Amino acid sequence: MSGAASPVLDIRDYSLGYATGAGPFQALKQVSLAIARGRTLGLVGESGSGKTSLAWAIMRYLPANAVEGSGNLLLSGEDLRAKTPAEILNMRGRRIGMVFQDPATSLNPTMMMGQQIVEVLIRHRKLAPRAAAEVAESLLARTGIARPRDMMLRYPHQASGGEKQRVVIATAFACNPEIILFDEPTTALDVITARQIQDLFMELQEETGVAALYISHDLALVSRIAHDLAVIHHGEIVEQGAARAIFSAPRSAYARMLIASVPSPQVRLVSTAPPADAPVTLALDKATIRYGERSLLDRLLGRSQQEVVGARDVTFAVREGEILGVVGESGSGKSTIARAIAGLNPFAGSISLAGRTVNARDDIDRAYRRQVQIIFQNPDGSLNPRQRVGDIIARPLKLYGLARPGEIGERVGDLLEQVRLPRDFAARYPHQLSGGEKQRVAIARAFAAEPRVVLCDEITSSLDVSVQASVARLLVDLQARTGATCLFITHDINLVRQLAHRIVVMRRGELVDLFPVEECDAAERHPYTRSLLDAVPVAAGS
Amino acid sequence: MREILRHPTGLAGALMLSLVLTAALVGSLIAPYDPQLFHPIARLQGPSTTHWLGTDQFGRDILSRILNGAWATVSFGVTATVLGVAAGAAVGMTAGLIGGAVDNVIMRIVDGVLAVPDLLFTLLIVTVLGGGTGHAMLAVAVAFTPGMARIARSAVLSVRTREYVQAAVARGESTGYVLVREVLPNAMGPLIVEATIRVSFAIMLGATLGFLGLGAQPPSTEWGLMIAEARQFMFRNPWAVIAPGAAIAVAAMGFNLFGDALRDVMDPRGRRR
Repeated sequence: MSGAASPVLDIRDYSLGYATGAGPFQALKQVSLAIARGRTLGLVGESGSGKTSLAWAIMRYLPANAVEGSGNLLLSGEDLRAKTPAEILNMRGRRIGMVFQDPATSLNPTMMMGQQIVEVLIRHRKLAPRAAAEVAESLLARTGIARPRDMMLRYPHQASGGEKQRVVIATAFACNPEIILFDEPTTALDVITARQIQDLFMELQEETGVAALYISHDLALVSRIAHDLAVIHHGEIVEQGAARAIFSAPRSAYARMLIASVPSPQVRLVSTAPPADAPVTLALDKATIRYGERSLLDRLLGRSQQEVVGARDVTFAVREGEILGVVGESGSGKSTIARAIAGLNPFAGSISLAGRTVNARDDIDRAYRRQVQIIFQNPDGSLNPRQRVGDIIARPLKLYGLARPGEIGERVGDLLEQVRLPRDFAARYPHQLSGGEKQRVAIARAFAAEPRVVLCDEITSSLDVSVQASVARLLVDLQARTGATCLFITHDINLVRQLAHRIVVMRRGELVDLFPVEECDAAERHPYTRSLLDAVPVAAGS
Repeated sequence: MREILRHPTGLAGALMLSLVLTAALVGSLIAPYDPQLFHPIARLQGPSTTHWLGTDQFGRDILSRILNGAWATVSFGVTATVLGVAAGAAVGMTAGLIGGAVDNVIMRIVDGVLAVPDLLFTLLIVTVLGGGTGHAMLAVAVAFTPGMARIARSAVLSVRTREYVQAAVARGESTGYVLVREVLPNAMGPLIVEATIRVSFAIMLGATLGFLGLGAQPPSTEWGLMIAEARQFMFRNPWAVIAPGAAIAVAAMGFNLFGDALRDVMDPRGRRR
């Protein structure tokens, strides 16, 4: 290697396709990339853009139906495509490291984690077992694991997601590889843990000078981590260069659109605020939701089961026309609350809707249910695959008697137009629609009931960045027009700062903070709120 | 359907099935002889140009008897399966939807019954009720119920947690609507596949009961019964046993392979249309 001048990884005009039942599919088109020692290249693209295919191609781990086109994959000047399978095996882990999205699946569940690192060290660095164990311990210590010797004796299921990802990272760095591929390494982790892992990555990368390819869909995150940036769209690199330069002045239309879709807390989507004297539409008073009641059989057999509290003593009130953002990590109880309000979870305490108070799920009747509509995270799951879009949207109209039989078709068409879909989509089935279109149908169905409260449970998180923004705008627009109250549940803190009037912070089933969005940075914020806000990268240059 | 025909085992299954179904529907019309016509001179003959599959101990034409008996055999398999699926689906879906103690009690009973082999179970029922086609059919249906209940229950459980079902519940839909419009159409796939495969088991069970003299009674042309009747003369004319045996094999395999292919086609999302 002759220093920074010759790149560690050099991809030249590489093309890759897959043979599918419907004919050949071109996944990568003439991709060219170069990563020098000590540099991190961020590869950003939406789902299906080919970014993971590229990582597989570099690892020489292609499925049987892959068809490689022209081009070269050079690792320190050696063409990976010319290597024999045995050479490839020897190279993986030693010269190319890899960190995947989900640490739970990249570790062997039947082996102690220490053993998994030791194995790599013995195989590739030819260390004696005892020496390997010592090296492994120091590697784990370096990744910030408090008691590394202890961790080495644990199995993967005995560690948290963040700890597991640290072990995977330690393994990737174990043999001082020339390059490490990171494929969405923090997407499966909670915000705060993700931030810690990102910081760890940056430290280690600086310390070892390894070249890194960092694949992600999260532009804001990549802008913080990567020196260089490549934007991939439909298998083509549409723009590449220094990360900062692309962020401040993107040249390609696609990169501009992507950057514009990154939620930035400074850009408010909501212009109006509900009047201070607006009546309260929804109020929770000491609402508590428990999970995991013991079944009859468990009781008969004397089996004990841990009772889990999904949410404890949650109290808040939302006014008419207000958007209340609910944030928190996974398992913090935010969806649990929404499901209780929608009448899907039994609860203790009370829920008041427009002056009417219910004290148990069984008190909830159809009139209440009409006024409270819920939109779920994943439109693939929330639309019945065997019903047409028109029937799906018409159902609330029929159920609640909101339109006369002759008018239903007309109303469905109007609703489709309101969510900016063509009227003739009514005849389609959900699988003929894209993810964003499906979510629009789910939104149309919720608003068809003319609700007073709309519960949005992570409605943008299963969508691509560019689609997220348009769905969020649509929701805000509909909310303003109908005057409905909205509970917007999300883990995306930048997004909630764009559209909520007030924000609730949940942690381990408890409400820890509730504040108007303008007071995000106020001094009296709960420490947990602070750490959540700090953990989220804000797009550089915006 | 086109995908099943493209599937190699599916094609084989479909060919066998079409053969068997044709025989079942028009067999008695195209049969060269009257299946019950005694012909004392031409007894126990091997295959010839006049009797393609030979004759039995009464000189009856075996080909005609097989063609004539196809309806009895296939209708037995299909009816018994449909009854079993309907009963099993009702039991399983109830257990899956209600859950809790009801589910526990029903499923433990189902587990108990499943531990008894199908044949033994049908024999038990036929012994209690007495022989005959109707009782044999009922016995097979009852024997199928617990297995189908198990499958129906798991299909319902996996569909029940889907968000479109949750959405329907949150809308305030009645239980009947949720079950019939949201759950059932999406839980049907595995049931249909299992039912197709089970028709072949039902045919085998029916033939076995016929052979044991507990199912169809003479002079029926049911295939199991044909084997039983010809058994004593097996060494003088093996064709009288081999031909109906082969017919049973083709029918059972046809449904089985077709069911396998159906499962493969419907499995990966099953939504390609």
